Amino acid sequence: MSQNFRRDLNKEFDAISGTPSPALSARVRSALEQDRPARTGPFWMAGLAAGLIAAIVVGVLVVASFNRHQTSILPGTAPTPSASPSARQSPSQSPSLTPSPSPAQTPSDSNLPAFVCAGPVSLAGTQTPAVAFVDAVRTGTHAGYDRVTIEFNNGEPANVDMSPHAGTTFTQGASGQQVTLQGSTGMLVIIHGADEHTAYSGSIDIKTGYSVLVELRQVEDFEGTVQWGLGLSKTACYRAFYLTNPVRLVIDIQNS
Amino acid sequence: MMSAVMEQRPSAIQRATEGDADSFAMLIDPLLNPAYRLAAVMLSDRMAAEDAVQEASVKAWRNLRQLRGDESSLRAWFLSIVANECRMTRRRRWWSVVKSADVESDRRTDGPSQEALTDLRRAIARLSPDERLPLVLYFYLDLPLDEVARTLRVSPSAAKSRIYRAARRLRSDLTLEEVS
Repeated sequence: MSQNFRRDLNKEFDAISGTPSPALSARVRSALEQDRPARTGPFWMAGLAAGLIAAIVVGVLVVASFNRHQTSILPGTAPTPSASPSARQSPSQSPSLTPSPSPAQTPSDSNLPAFVCAGPVSLAGTQTPAVAFVDAVRTGTHAGYDRVTIEFNNGEPANVDMSPHAGTTFTQGASGQQVTLQGSTGMLVIIHGADEHTAYSGSIDIKTGYSVLVELRQVEDFEGTVQWGLGLSKTACYRAFYLTNPVRLVIDIQNS
Repeated sequence: MMSAVMEQRPSAIQRATEGDADSFAMLIDPLLNPAYRLAAVMLSDRMAAEDAVQEASVKAWRNLRQLRGDESSLRAWFLSIVANECRMTRRRRWWSVVKSADVESDRRTDGPSQEALTDLRRAIARLSPDERLPLVLYFYLDLPLDEVARTLRVSPSAAKSRIYRAARRLRSDLTLEEVS
């Protein structure tokens, strides 16, 4: 094999791949940490199988319902194809906010709402179940933002309120006890009409190691209200929106 | 005495198999860079590549008991999971296109062999992710042939054939003997 061929090929591969984000290692560690409870014990396989069966049944029911009632968004009538998932933000976002567009948005982010830098944000759910069951909470870091994804297995919750929080000490909803998160400032996410103990068995205290979102911790899961406190290393702009299939509440914290 | 103590101490892979996430994270940390490079070339999308590596890491963690062999087997096993995750990513994102723009990025316009490089770049862009995979493993990550074979889950001779077939699509005058 010609050394020139190998050298040229590797040069091209270098151009394609670049170098990984310095946060990749921390991101993977965080993902492993969050997955820890899910892999312990022999019940994991049974749980997965039950989940799959439930997902198939729910999927069939949803598709059947979708075809009956939502024929206007069949693939042939869908909006212009896009490389990014469609995002929906509630119109109830506070009008007094001063949106500041993200600097360095990637094309796939172009359909997402702008970041806001002050005040509360509300997201009203559509076609909400009586209680939306959280079944996964994930974090990730990307160029421009750290992301929290809260996944629901049966639809959007009734309402979500997000607001900046002074300091990183939060009062736990049911017990009244105070917890202090890592970071210098915080953000409070209140999910109304949701439950995080029926379908969710992951971590409720996630330390990410990211540049801005450093920790998130469940501070309430009681009587249909779920609250998460976010510990941030500095004040940051943020945005929240829903993605579908499956339903996910996405919270992006600007990190640049 | 010391050797007896050492023998009794569980290896990192044993600790990881018993549920120690930190041990597993330490084991795969050196593999994240090659895993990312493999995923980035397969997907032509750097952000998606990092997502794929994260997902693959979690899947590897969940299925660590399926690893046959010791730590020396870990790299090929992990990279095969990353490659599979890349395939799944492409299936999930059926609407996505191969981002040839990424392939075109970072190009340098100087140098005597620019034309040849441009041809090579175009030829790479025409390869499917599964055709790129053996090239990445063998040439870019510099894995020995038997490890390429374990990653691809084929025999060494089949791995050699795949490398050769893919490389021939980039350089038509290549001979099988040159893939040694």
